[in-house]
Amino acid sequence: MASIRCATTEDLMNMQHCNLLCLPENYQMKYYFYHGLSWPQLSYVAEDERGDIVGYVLAKMEEENERDDAEPHGHITSLAVKRSHRRCGLAKKLMDQSSRAMVECFNARYVSLHVRRSNRAALNLYQNTLGFATCGIEAKYYADGEDAFAMQRDLGKFASELNLTPANPETFNQVRTGGKKKENLAHDQTV
Amino acid sequence: MSPNQPLPQKENAVFKKILRCYENKQYKNGLKLAKQILSNPKYAEHGETLAMKGLLLNCLRRKDEAYEHVKRGLKSDVKSHVCWHVFGLLQRSDRKYDEAIRAYRNALKCDSDHIQILRDLSLLQIQMRDLEGYKETRHKLFTLRPTQKASWIGLAMSYHLLDDHEMAVKLIDEFLKIQNKTSYDYEQSELLLYELQIIFESGNYVEVLQRMDHNAGLIYDKLSLMEMRAEVYLRLEKFDLAEKLYNELITRNPENKAFYYGMMKARCLDKDEDKVAMLEEFSKKFPRAQIPRRLPLNMSSGETFRSLVDDYMRRAITKGVPPLFVDLKPLYADPQNVKIIEELIEMYLQNLVISSTFESAGGDGAELQPVTSVVWTLYLACQHFDHIGDTKRALELVERAIEHTPTLIELYLAKAKFYKHAGNMIGAVQCLDEAQALDTADRYINSKCAKYMLKAKLLDEAEAMCAKFTRENVSAMENLNEMQCMWFQTECANAYSKLNRYGDALKKCHEVDRHFVEIIEDQFDFHTYCMRKTTLRSYIGLLRLEDVVRGHPFYFKAARIAIKTYLRLHDHPLNDKKAEQDQLESTLSKSELKKLRSKQKKAQEKVRQDEKENKDKKVANDDEKLEDTLNPEKLERPENPLEEAIRFLKPLQELSPKNIETHLLAYEIYMRTGKPLLMLQCLKRAHRLQPDHPQLHVCLAHFVSKVANQDLTGPVGAVVEKQLSSLLSGKQKSAKDLNSDFLQQHRDSYAHAVAAATVLYELDKTKQSEALKLLNFEADPLIKHGVTRERCEEVMELLESGAFGAIGDAEYLKAFKNSCARRFPLAEVFQATGVISAPRPASADATADRQISQDV
Repeated sequence: MASIRCATTEDLMNMQHCNLLCLPENYQMKYYFYHGLSWPQLSYVAEDERGDIVGYVLAKMEEENERDDAEPHGHITSLAVKRSHRRCGLAKKLMDQSSRAMVECFNARYVSLHVRRSNRAALNLYQNTLGFATCGIEAKYYADGEDAFAMQRDLGKFASELNLTPANPETFNQVRTGGKKKENLAHDQTV
Repeated sequence: MSPNQPLPQKENAVFKKILRCYENKQYKNGLKLAKQILSNPKYAEHGETLAMKGLLLNCLRRKDEAYEHVKRGLKSDVKSHVCWHVFGLLQRSDRKYDEAIRAYRNALKCDSDHIQILRDLSLLQIQMRDLEGYKETRHKLFTLRPTQKASWIGLAMSYHLLDDHEMAVKLIDEFLKIQNKTSYDYEQSELLLYELQIIFESGNYVEVLQRMDHNAGLIYDKLSLMEMRAEVYLRLEKFDLAEKLYNELITRNPENKAFYYGMMKARCLDKDEDKVAMLEEFSKKFPRAQIPRRLPLNMSSGETFRSLVDDYMRRAITKGVPPLFVDLKPLYADPQNVKIIEELIEMYLQNLVISSTFESAGGDGAELQPVTSVVWTLYLACQHFDHIGDTKRALELVERAIEHTPTLIELYLAKAKFYKHAGNMIGAVQCLDEAQALDTADRYINSKCAKYMLKAKLLDEAEAMCAKFTRENVSAMENLNEMQCMWFQTECANAYSKLNRYGDALKKCHEVDRHFVEIIEDQFDFHTYCMRKTTLRSYIGLLRLEDVVRGHPFYFKAARIAIKTYLRLHDHPLNDKKAEQDQLESTLSKSELKKLRSKQKKAQEKVRQDEKENKDKKVANDDEKLEDTLNPEKLERPENPLEEAIRFLKPLQELSPKNIETHLLAYEIYMRTGKPLLMLQCLKRAHRLQPDHPQLHVCLAHFVSKVANQDLTGPVGAVVEKQLSSLLSGKQKSAKDLNSDFLQQHRDSYAHAVAAATVLYELDKTKQSEALKLLNFEADPLIKHGVTRERCEEVMELLESGAFGAIGDAEYLKAFKNSCARRFPLAEVFQATGVISAPRPASADATADRQISQDV
């Protein structure tokens, strides 16, 4: 069965290969380097007995002040498991390790991702297995014109369940959920 | 401003505006301003303005004019650092790094403290791995800007790269002292870890520990910290502490193999049974973890193995785990394991059918299995029988499985693989086409299908298949090239080369090579970026990776095809296009000729179309890199094919020296350039890796008969004599004796028999019938192994290409083909008539194309 470990620089080329085999969204090597060299703790690979990469998660941080919301949070750029290695729970294991690093190293309070509207298998995985919730639709997000669901997973609960020490416990514990923060503010204002 | 050619105030203000325009990428505005100065006859030859104009032109991709202006500028003001700096920037943009470094150095002669030039120089030096030069430049930058973070870190890193760990650590320590401490500081955390890595590499483990204890609170990457600490404990033989840490690590991630191996070391376990017991302990502790269940299979045998693998397989089958066979495959290296696995599979098959249980009634495994267990068992079983070479049984089982669950796509993938293994690519493609139609949204199946199509030489179909997942508006080929999809390009190259389309094959190989050039180029931006981000551990990882990046299997595969193609083109250079055409046409029938003509016409139209599109695009996008295009017709008519082959070979020799093929390919090249010492070197290196490799024997015999017995005088002769004698273990042997000894030593192996036959005929053309007799595996009772389909295909190609001379007796070839067909009944190539037994592929047009190409 596949071994799960943090991705090294050497893994990045084989991750690109795995990505090209499995997914329609592809990136040049430089983008993989960018991830590996900016947030080396966040990407994980699943490696089979022969040392081939059979699955990976490529992840990053959406850094503060980059967008309108100032909360630091993780983002899944790409997640793939080869068809030949499905049904072994690899995706969940990869995602959990990556999420853990997001909390410990970068104080991420939630992690976000996009998924094709039509990709029911993935939607199912994110929603039911990994605890992601849909928080919006990005129209025509993909190159071929398909919409994306924007999804988020709260890492506060995840962190307390696993008893993790976030990078900055003080700010981490201030507000628990990233996605809901804005709503709360809006609510407060109307009151 | 240049002291040599001062400008009056007004012009000088304009010049400063030009610099701003360049920085803000307003190239056209910059040019207008330059014109203002240069149109004044007094300043028409103002050096720095000319240089800047050149730089702007370069940014607008007007290369020739750019160089002309910069050179004119330099001529007029050779003491100006601006002119030299600009000249360096131009060279750099053309990737002429050595020249650029020289230009920067000249610029610094004019102004030795120029920060920007020093920075640019340092980037080139690290890119080119001029580590000494890099250190010098970083030193200079440090003295000029001692308060900047990059100055400290850059200098520390330059020492680290030169293995001066002590100095590197000192610098980081000093830098950390002047830092303001904040509550959460990721960059500081990274820097501390980088420092620990340096000390770890220097071997001072005690200090690593001390510093870890001291700084633990400031480091957020807990995993890296724990991993390093555990490793340090092992090296310091503090086993109880190491054990504690590995416990934590395994709890953190029970699926990381490395942690269990660490734990074994921490507990000082040598005996396999102890290791298995340890893994069982963790398996109980983490019942959902797969690794501690799987690893024991690697370290057990006999009855223990039987009971472990039995349990492992049953669980996986009941749960329906698709990669079960792939997961077990590495265990097949031991024939004892294979036997046990087979017995168990047979037992499951039997009992599941009779009673829906793994075992017959009364046993432990008598509980009722879900219906899916039948199909998963069949799936495992068919792959098992395929792997051990029983294609017939494999196909039977997979058909049964498909009948049971026709919606399970994995079954079609497996069936396709069996056909592929049996040498029937057309049948394989058909299965995959079916599979892909069952789930068109899955790119993995789509990729597999395209790959198989390429192996069947169906290039157009493969591209059409890939196009379902590539961007619209661009051809799939182009998109896949842009995305650096190397597997596809390598498979294309292979297909083209099988179709004798050498230029197209070479184009694909060069495209792969260019990806590597690009990946090396990618480093550039990270030299500055990582220093800012302080992710220095990964940055060092990047530098080390880039140093060996062409050691990647993707490069090897492409280089091998390129080298073989260039060798072919050296031995049989192509005529010019027209002659080729006439020759081709004279061999075709009327209808084939018509097809060919229409195909050519289409191809021409496509070229015209592409050219037009490219032109449009160029106009649309000025900034895009103008790569010189790879032209297949030019590529297949190289001036010096061996030199081209050597270009692909060099990285293999440097980075893949453990692959014997590297040296065998090298021999083929140097044999043709006539370099005895280089040939000898290849033989020696190959001999060290695998002295009895069949192809090495062919090379060695060639060397002994053709090179060593020539009059090699002087030092060359002496070296050859000495080295050769050590290769032949001190014995003086003629090639003939060498060959008969070799044959005797490996009498049961077909691979060796083929090599011996080749040499036998090479040495003495009258020995044809004797050589042919060696190839006849059916009639030779002594041959026990090595009769593989691939080898038989090779032999047939050799026979057909005349490597064993004209075979007067055409019956021999026919008989050989028949023996192969009997042994490999599904393989296309051994079919007597050349008619493919499996039905035709989807596109009849492509089949016709293929036949034409094959006939050529």
